[in-house]
Amino acid sequence: MPSWAGQSRGGSFGYRFFIFLIRYFGKGGAYAFLFLVVPYFALFAPKATKASWQYWRKIHHLGRLTSFRMLFVHYYRFGQILLDKIAAISGLDNDFEYDFFNYDEFLKVLDGDSGVVMIGAHVGNWEIGGQFFGKYAHKLNLVMYDAEYQKIKKQLESVMGEKAYHVIPVNEDGFTHVFMIKEALDRKEYVCFQGDRHVGDGDKHTLEATFMGRKALFPAGPFQIASRFKVPVVFYFSEKENNDKYSFRFYIADPVKRTKECKPETALLDQYVKVLEERVKKHPEQWFNFYPFWIDLNS
Amino acid sequence: MTKEEIIDKINSVLEEEFEVDKTLFLPDAPLMKTLDLDSLDLVDMVVLIEHNFGIVLNNSDFAGIKTFQDFYDFLYEKLN
Repeated sequence: MPSWAGQSRGGSFGYRFFIFLIRYFGKGGAYAFLFLVVPYFALFAPKATKASWQYWRKIHHLGRLTSFRMLFVHYYRFGQILLDKIAAISGLDNDFEYDFFNYDEFLKVLDGDSGVVMIGAHVGNWEIGGQFFGKYAHKLNLVMYDAEYQKIKKQLESVMGEKAYHVIPVNEDGFTHVFMIKEALDRKEYVCFQGDRHVGDGDKHTLEATFMGRKALFPAGPFQIASRFKVPVVFYFSEKENNDKYSFRFYIADPVKRTKECKPETALLDQYVKVLEERVKKHPEQWFNFYPFWIDLNS
Repeated sequence: MTKEEIIDKINSVLEEEFEVDKTLFLPDAPLMKTLDLDSLDLVDMVVLIEHNFGIVLNNSDFAGIKTFQDFYDFLYEKLN
């Protein structure tokens, strides 16, 4: 079964080097450096390269030549977004424009009388919008796998200082995170998940859905927790529109109920997948799951 | 509620939700293992208990619970 390994590629040297580039050459100079980095990754990250190749060939049904070009565009866009994130978070260059869609509705949900579950995806660059949460930021709780959290924490804390938001680290063997999530929702805070990556092969931890025309597994946790605790759910996406502009989109999920045909978490996942498909079709090169995401892609 | 009433109620609720025969719910039996609970099942369990007994649970509540007897004692204490 395809699943994410629980930790992203890239070391602290890479982050530091990117910071060095942005500091001394600006964002544009750092983008130019990506023309050297991208071929390196295309050659020396074979699993990610294969996943990207299959994504273009079998999900978007592109020809070999176009897929080859898009493979490089894919890596390049990923590099740009990583640089933008580092530039914005570290305060080295934060001269971006932002467009918001459905922002007022989103704020109404945040101002409501309960906790909120927010489900994003590894599409675009959600972290760059952290500053827009303003007074809401201290009520944000980001749920991430422990290994990933430890890595990001070490790399970025040195340049970012302490973030305004909280992190709930998920350890597959423990139960503490379940209570941390529950307690945050009880305090009427906001709990943020990424709804498109699961770790491990366990059937109980995943939900299957047809996404972009093929079967894929999604983590059950975000959808199960949101539906069980009966709190409002917002799907959110941030996408790079051009070199200096990002768009933020917020979708308020319809309330879900258990029916004979469908569990509430599945009904919620169906809504998520529909919106995710829309976003991925709009910006296919900003789909950043560089591993075999689909179950049957090799068959 | 008496302790017996609590035990009856929680055993019925757990049997129905987790589809495990309640004859296996022996006082010394390990709670999580017997019910085959993972972290997502725990979400269901927490919601179930809060809904059925009108109490609020937190992380420290579960820290000392290993067996069904621990669980019954905890609920009895919390409800009284």
